[in-house]
Amino acid sequence: MITLGIDVGGTFTDLVLRDSVTGTMRALKTPSTPSNHAEGVMNAIRSTGVAPSEITAIGHGMTVATNTALEMNGARLGIITTRGFRDVLVIGRGNRTKLYDIKATRPEPLVERRNIVEVDGRLTAAGEVHLALDEDQVKLACNTLAEAGVEAVAICFLHSYINPEHERRAGEIARVALPGIPVSLSSDVLPEYREFERFSTTALNAYVAPRVGRYLRSLADELVAEGVTAPLSVMGSNGGTWSAAAMAERPVNSMLSGPAGGVTAAVAVASMLSENNIITYDMGGTSTDAALIRGSTLAMTTEAKVGMWPNRAPQIEINTVGAGGGSLAYLDAGRFLRVGPRSAGAEPGPACYGKGGTEPTVTDANVVLGRFLPGHALGGTIELNVDAARAAVASLGNELDLDPERTADGIIRLAVARMTATVKEISVMRGLDPRDFTLFAYGGAGPLHAALIAEELGMRRIVVPTMPGNFSAYGLLAANTRHDLARTRLMPLAQATLAEIEAELAPLRAEANERLAADGFTSDHIQISCLADMRFAGQAFELTIALPENAETIEDIATAFRRDYEERYSHADEGAIEIVCLRVIAIGESEPAPLPDVQGGETLKAALMVHRPVRFGDATVNCPIYSRTALPLETPITGPAIIEEDGATTVVPPGFSAHIERHGNLILEREA
Amino acid sequence: MSDIDPITLEVVTEGLISVVREMRATVFRTARSVAIYEARDFSCGLFDAGGQVVAQSEDIGSHVVPLPWSVEQSLAELGDDLSPGDVILMNDPYRGGTHLNDVTIIYPIFDGDRLVFFPAVREHWADVGGAVPGSMSGTASEIYQEGIRIPPVKIIEKGVLNAPLMEVLLSNMRVREERLGDFNSSLAACRTAERRLAELTDRYGLDTLLACVELNLTRSERRMREKIELLPDGEYYYEDYLETFGPKGFEPLLLPLALTIRGDELTADFTGVSPQVPVPVNSTLAVTAASVFITLKSALDPEQALNHGSFRPVEVIAPEGTIVNVTHPAPAGSHGEIRKRVIACMLGALARACPDLVSGDIHRTSFHNLIGGVDPATGKEFVHYEWSSGGNGGFLEADGPSAMAAIDWGDLSTAQPTEVLESRFPLHIEWSRQGTDSGGPGRNRGGLGMRRALKLTRGVAKYSLLSDGAMMPPFGILGGESGAPVNSFVIHPDNSEHHFASPGKVGGHTLQAGDTVILQSAGGGGYGDPLEREVERVADDVADGLVSRGTARNVYGVILTTDGFADLEATKVQRDQLRAARITVSAVEDDTDAYTPSGPSKKRVLRLNPEDIKHAGLVDGDRAELLIGDGAPLRGWVRPDATVAAGRVPLDPLGCRALGADASASLILRPLLVPDPGSIG
Repeated sequence: MITLGIDVGGTFTDLVLRDSVTGTMRALKTPSTPSNHAEGVMNAIRSTGVAPSEITAIGHGMTVATNTALEMNGARLGIITTRGFRDVLVIGRGNRTKLYDIKATRPEPLVERRNIVEVDGRLTAAGEVHLALDEDQVKLACNTLAEAGVEAVAICFLHSYINPEHERRAGEIARVALPGIPVSLSSDVLPEYREFERFSTTALNAYVAPRVGRYLRSLADELVAEGVTAPLSVMGSNGGTWSAAAMAERPVNSMLSGPAGGVTAAVAVASMLSENNIITYDMGGTSTDAALIRGSTLAMTTEAKVGMWPNRAPQIEINTVGAGGGSLAYLDAGRFLRVGPRSAGAEPGPACYGKGGTEPTVTDANVVLGRFLPGHALGGTIELNVDAARAAVASLGNELDLDPERTADGIIRLAVARMTATVKEISVMRGLDPRDFTLFAYGGAGPLHAALIAEELGMRRIVVPTMPGNFSAYGLLAANTRHDLARTRLMPLAQATLAEIEAELAPLRAEANERLAADGFTSDHIQISCLADMRFAGQAFELTIALPENAETIEDIATAFRRDYEERYSHADEGAIEIVCLRVIAIGESEPAPLPDVQGGETLKAALMVHRPVRFGDATVNCPIYSRTALPLETPITGPAIIEEDGATTVVPPGFSAHIERHGNLILEREA
Repeated sequence: MSDIDPITLEVVTEGLISVVREMRATVFRTARSVAIYEARDFSCGLFDAGGQVVAQSEDIGSHVVPLPWSVEQSLAELGDDLSPGDVILMNDPYRGGTHLNDVTIIYPIFDGDRLVFFPAVREHWADVGGAVPGSMSGTASEIYQEGIRIPPVKIIEKGVLNAPLMEVLLSNMRVREERLGDFNSSLAACRTAERRLAELTDRYGLDTLLACVELNLTRSERRMREKIELLPDGEYYYEDYLETFGPKGFEPLLLPLALTIRGDELTADFTGVSPQVPVPVNSTLAVTAASVFITLKSALDPEQALNHGSFRPVEVIAPEGTIVNVTHPAPAGSHGEIRKRVIACMLGALARACPDLVSGDIHRTSFHNLIGGVDPATGKEFVHYEWSSGGNGGFLEADGPSAMAAIDWGDLSTAQPTEVLESRFPLHIEWSRQGTDSGGPGRNRGGLGMRRALKLTRGVAKYSLLSDGAMMPPFGILGGESGAPVNSFVIHPDNSEHHFASPGKVGGHTLQAGDTVILQSAGGGGYGDPLEREVERVADDVADGLVSRGTARNVYGVILTTDGFADLEATKVQRDQLRAARITVSAVEDDTDAYTPSGPSKKRVLRLNPEDIKHAGLVDGDRAELLIGDGAPLRGWVRPDATVAAGRVPLDPLGCRALGADASASLILRPLLVPDPGSIG
């Protein structure tokens, strides 16, 4: 009985294996195979040495949808839309794409305007038919798109969030007229109002659907060929897993598949450690992701974008900045020192990889400061070239008139300043004080810089979880299945009754139960919660609140809204309240995958690998280097110290202490 | 000062920008009026003791760039008398403000008794009193009709609120609780800045902080100087018009700009501009100067963060009592139009100095449309306010973007969801599309404007429009053609049309249920000769419905086969013919009668031999433009004059300068391409 979590990244495919009988886990990394990721996944599975028949479940994190959208190599797309509105996607909200730049341009469109076809048929805002759908025009539109050679079709009609009939009928016609071509309906993908955001989400879905479908099918075929019969589930941006078949239908929900795994893992570990308020800090090669979990609840958003395109599919609010271990430090055209967003990428990579890189990266700066053990393998297979790192940092230092050590320290300080700003955006800017949170640091480069980030923000406690380099893959094992359903209904609260609200929620709940039953969940493993997007009448933005479970009157709902509103905006408001959208979140509880207790080593002394000179600020100290796996439990180490493990290095600067708790998580605490 | 290492400089700079971001977040979280926390019509900035911008974030250029004038004026009036705990409030357009709705709070921060920083917040207060709700009246003849004027005053003195003064102010504004909320959110943002600056000071020391500020200013200045230095020295000139309508119909107001580039410095001189007028076409020096900076920054140096250093090499001369430097008691509400036109003049002048860096003209107006009334279904008042953006100008590398906010508008959204409008108002949006052929033709085409049809579904409503650019369309550069002008009209249920006598300016026109208002925002000006546009791109534009077949043939000279491919042979013939049909005239230097004055109105006269006028398909009084292949076209009104030799056009020295033309230079004469106002694309 083996379950696998497999997270495919740009460079490595990370795998975590759990034996559900003994509860033990194992992590490993194999190279990714960008030309066909399925191959890398199969390599990873084979390298475990586990018999295929023993595998009972696979959780998968993938980047196919995201890369397809960001690299703009998705389907040739066709759109059928309401007459008069072919430019909704072209114009968007009419914002300037770059401030103070005469030469601002829009991004390449997902679809050529000539492949956006208008048809007659119009609904009112109340969902009534103003003009019947002209089915002949839909057929003609399909012919036009077929001639244009489209590979995917999105059907996007006005007001379909309240009445999907026209879209459904057009969808039926399109599926007959265009066999084998995926058809996405906006009322299926995102039944919420505001046409640009809904059309954009739907167009993104259709745009990536053929590639994601092909990928998931080929992976399923390979698994079967290998003899693996376990179901494949895919991590969704909402922090829950989806069946591969469901995700193939709505791939726009996998845009954050990778980072969502890490956040899910953090939630699981935090609950084991009784940490209720955490900020995750996932620093990889090219970027850093941060998310905030408060009272064990994930902050969600429906305002995300992929590139410049709104993606309103519900997802974890993850804030990303283009600063990672591979980010380059350079002087820009104005001779201002920058760290990122330019990156050394996988080729040539940081100078210390010895593959020809000559510009310094954040990783090179860490090398110069002595924070990696020479000869120590970076991320498995790469040998460290200290001289190349030093030469790269020194050349930038020459231009700045600084010695290599100060230059390296400065590169890291600047990278930390940028990452700190990212964490501030999800905390300070929301009126939340990061000092009330614990920092969860993972990803290849997270544990290296976590203490510096914590120091900047006044945070006192850091968790570097077990397997920090494979943490997202662990999250894929630990995740529940989750379905988010929504229905836009404009209801002034003063005129609404609880029965009316219930009448809208009931079909959503029924569908949620149906979907989870199809996923194999029985009712004792299903949790349903109901939410509503609400606002004061006249406002254009809503706040999503949990509907009180035992509301007895409408006023109870109003009270809950006012409370959340006041917390979010730091002041109370008065006036009529309205519901805009009702939501149901349905969770199918998976078998938990708790971290097992670890043994730990005997003594600190036994865990000490060596002492070496490491630079902290202006001083170089002879710093002890420990092996994480050999550290004894609950035994504090006082910084400065460096803790090494496969795939990650944790820096414990002066002023911090560190210890391993019983599940193997490394806890750093800042001294008063 | 030079002992600040570059790392500390960058880290401190990041810290200062972060202070402003946090101010912004504070306003956003605590403001109570919709205009602020939804339209985000506010800006924050951090100033040094000398009133220079030190840091700002993703704010609205039209707000934040003029802020230094407010700070400077406040310092001039109150600077010697400031103590810790004082807070300044102001909105006076005549003293460094923009328009009365932009209320600014300036918060001096001291280190001991030394004044060190001013955080400042400018918020658009939804009402500041005056003749109409919302305070922005399209018919104001004096500033008193636009709201209450607040000179720089200490609203809080040594920590104590001046309650009687506050009471006076709030008593003169509509929805007073909301106004108090606006004030408190600005104050909260400044207090946040005070706390964060104290933390930065504790950590780095005040001297380091101030040294970093000065280094940032200096390097921005150096960078702007380097950019100006790259431009060829010279005296450049361009002129454009604001639009008013009087008893005699269209009365354009002249806006001339003499732009001098010498070494690493630049002067923008508006001497000769129309005197201020008792209609809302005037704005303030702060707005005028800010528009000069916004253009320079956007053309020369888009990459760097904005601070005051980059303003230092630039001088702006705007005579008092004119439409670009309004004085008491003229209305001052027209910042949106003056900004766009100053930017247009800058583009026109820079098109000759650095054509690679600028674009054709941008959509010329803020296009404020209002439809309001009482919805019979609810019995409640409604006001639908929309400001659809238009096309941006084409530039060296690409076509101008369509229906996108202009460079002075920051991150404002300009398109509202149909699904929201239809659920909220008695309106049915019949269509909302880019207007075919509305982008100015060019080698790189101008962006397209919007064409929208809004039908009133029930009841009665009033339609108003405050805009400009309905008579003089956005110009193209380097031979590019004009974009479509602004327009609006009404279609009645029987399909008859109502057009307005003063296009672009409509006050309270009554709409009945079933009437449809057609809104047309302007296109962007083209860049380069349309006959040089690659034939495939023209064919693509036709396939995408952005350009009609007729325009492809008649303006771009591209002949398409029935299946949409270019017929290269026929295209070559057509292009040769179009080129040959161009009318050229040569300039004669002569400055008699260059303009027709009429009250404040003034317009350039193009005196031409009657035969030339006829040949060009023009009649007396038509608008036309002269161009020379590079730079921007010189526009004027043709007048037949038999004393002018055929093939000649007398030009005054300014006209010659606008065209960069020597006497006897050969110029192309072409009618101003203005699409049929009834065409709805």
